[in-house]
Amino acid sequence: MTVAAPWLRPGAWGSRLRDRTVGYLFVAPAVLLLAVVLAYPAFTSLRLSFSEQGSPVNLGLVQYRLLLRSSLFWQVVRQTGVFVAASVAAHVILGMLLAMILNRPLAGRTPLRIMVLLPWVVPDVVAGIVWKWILNPLYGVLNDVLLRADLIPAPLEWIASPRLALFSVILANIWRGFPFVMVILLAGLQAIPQELYEAAAIDGAGPLASFRSITLPGLRKVLVVALALDTIWEVRRFGLVQAMTGGGPGTMTEVLSTQVFRQYFQFFRFEYASAMAIAMTVLLLVISVPYVRMIVREE
Amino acid sequence: MSATDRLRRTVLCALVAGALLLSVLTPARSGEAVTLRFSNWHLVEDVWGRSLREAINIFESRNPGIRIIPEPISYGEKEPRYQAECAARRMPDVVKLHNFSLAMFFELGCAADLTPFVQREPAGFLKAWYEFPLKMLTHRERLMAMPDDFQSIVLIYNRELFRAAGLDPAKPPRTWAEFQEYARRLTRDTDGDGRLDQWGFSMPASKNPGLPLRIMPFVWSFGADFITEDGRRSAMNTPEFREAFRFIVELATVHRVVPPGVTTFGPQDVRIQMAQRRIAMKIGSGWSYPIVNALNPQLNAAEVLEAAPIPKGRKTITAAWLDAWIMSPHTRYPEEAWKFIKFLSSKEIEKKFFEDNRVISSRKDVNTLPLVRTDKFSRVIVAELEHARLEPFIKEWPEIFDAFATALQEAITGAKSTERALLDAHAKVEEILARRR
Repeated sequence: MTVAAPWLRPGAWGSRLRDRTVGYLFVAPAVLLLAVVLAYPAFTSLRLSFSEQGSPVNLGLVQYRLLLRSSLFWQVVRQTGVFVAASVAAHVILGMLLAMILNRPLAGRTPLRIMVLLPWVVPDVVAGIVWKWILNPLYGVLNDVLLRADLIPAPLEWIASPRLALFSVILANIWRGFPFVMVILLAGLQAIPQELYEAAAIDGAGPLASFRSITLPGLRKVLVVALALDTIWEVRRFGLVQAMTGGGPGTMTEVLSTQVFRQYFQFFRFEYASAMAIAMTVLLLVISVPYVRMIVREE
Repeated sequence: MSATDRLRRTVLCALVAGALLLSVLTPARSGEAVTLRFSNWHLVEDVWGRSLREAINIFESRNPGIRIIPEPISYGEKEPRYQAECAARRMPDVVKLHNFSLAMFFELGCAADLTPFVQREPAGFLKAWYEFPLKMLTHRERLMAMPDDFQSIVLIYNRELFRAAGLDPAKPPRTWAEFQEYARRLTRDTDGDGRLDQWGFSMPASKNPGLPLRIMPFVWSFGADFITEDGRRSAMNTPEFREAFRFIVELATVHRVVPPGVTTFGPQDVRIQMAQRRIAMKIGSGWSYPIVNALNPQLNAAEVLEAAPIPKGRKTITAAWLDAWIMSPHTRYPEEAWKFIKFLSSKEIEKKFFEDNRVISSRKDVNTLPLVRTDKFSRVIVAELEHARLEPFIKEWPEIFDAFATALQEAITGAKSTERALLDAHAKVEEILARRR
């Protein structure tokens, strides 16, 4: 008896077509929602960025020319670079250290893990306000502790001083963001077979050698993911900086996200702010390349 | 399921969806309750919030067919949010804004024209209000908002701290030289631990919407201005402006009569400092005493705090605070929204707002009430309205003032010299105004 191929069976084409249609219908709401909340605003921003101020019909590169000529823009790009690089580096170092500690069998490990996660749970703006109070020169707890310990002769103006402001914001951001990296690395550490460490110990490898030869290679993928995601998030960090310093003193703690907000919502320069936002998006796309490549390779 | 059943079900679903859509989009007919969305930053404040909610209750009890939904919003968030909501045609039906952003809202078409409503009121309806605020709210010969608070900015000081520093509380500083001397004497180490714990003066020098109000009186009284009269050029390079700028900066850098970290303070920080007796003088207005009182009732703010005119420079001048009720141009219930705005602007409610919050009304018939005329704060604030003026009514004003605030912070923190910071601000303002030209 010969059996016809499924696609040759009567009605198979119709059935497949119906399945496909149902599939598309299921996906349609999500696609529509994405189009409304993502594609449309993105397209509007892109169109605005090529418009002249107050004249949406005249398209051109005027906003980009203004952007590239603006010394403030380049200053903000530099500051964002420092902010992101310092924050991400500290997140990785601190996150790795704590992940390794919390991966060991410790008494009270679960409450400790929850406690360490707390900064990540705190909303950005709340974290900014809390740190602003901690660093307040009049009432701040940090100055009080340092003064009592005779470590400083007078209260420091942590977020008002041009020398300390960016450092203070980065410090708060390190506290705010390290748990995310720590959680990812902890998950990665738990996936490394314990036997590898035991074998290394039998072969006489010390902790440093084990870290270099087992832990780091084992964490390579999760480290790339953590680095890429953390970098993308830190470039977009807004609430904490805005709540702590509002970009001040002067423009010394302005980052790209606070500048876009200021230009768009405070100065009502919609076109210029859109150009800045597009530049920021391009930067984020470049940063996300290694992450996307890794995912594609995995698939 | 047969094709007929499917068709029947589809038609039924379409009918239900259509009915739902209609119920949302169609204005309520008479007899049905109309819901108005009302947004105001004061709703998040203790004193003001209570007062507004009481007013809403009175309105609802008198207008059973109208329900008001209060939508609290933060002070800094209101402009961006309303603007986004306006673009989406979802702005609350009635909102309150103040004059620095009104021009932008008018230009964007985010305020309904109130002229037709006013024209339907009895003759002389607008005569109860001062002319100046009405003029400011008129855009292209149309009245676009109804005025609410209209107050002058004054000097608020603590009479007990004056007395403790050997100053006569009945004689507040009248000139800037006196002000500086008073501030110097009021800056003290009161507990003898070798560190200053009380300062003569404080100001909210972070970048916040409250800063212009507290800075403009300094600048104007020195005979200076931010932009030229025609609004086309920066005026920040004049000798008068340089003098005013230097004076403000040196309060922090040379005389050190303001607390450390001044460039991070917002208005509430300064109020807290006053409530905790850390500072003796601040710039404020009618709202100052109730807020400071709420922060620290033990201070006995009504008794201890005083108001005085802003010290005099080359000119006797101060800044005015004006805010106004706006109706959304997209409201589905313009008649009801107007009714609510009219109620909020009425003599009865403006009087209530004065009693509860000590804010001065833009209505002459409220400010002539004995209650207002005999109050020690409002007496000064109403008298100073005569010398009060508003910031430039141009869309670029927030950006222009930001350039100034940046320079102020740079000069106070030493990031730039006073001259360099001001020169940079002047160049920046020229650049901003060139776009306008």
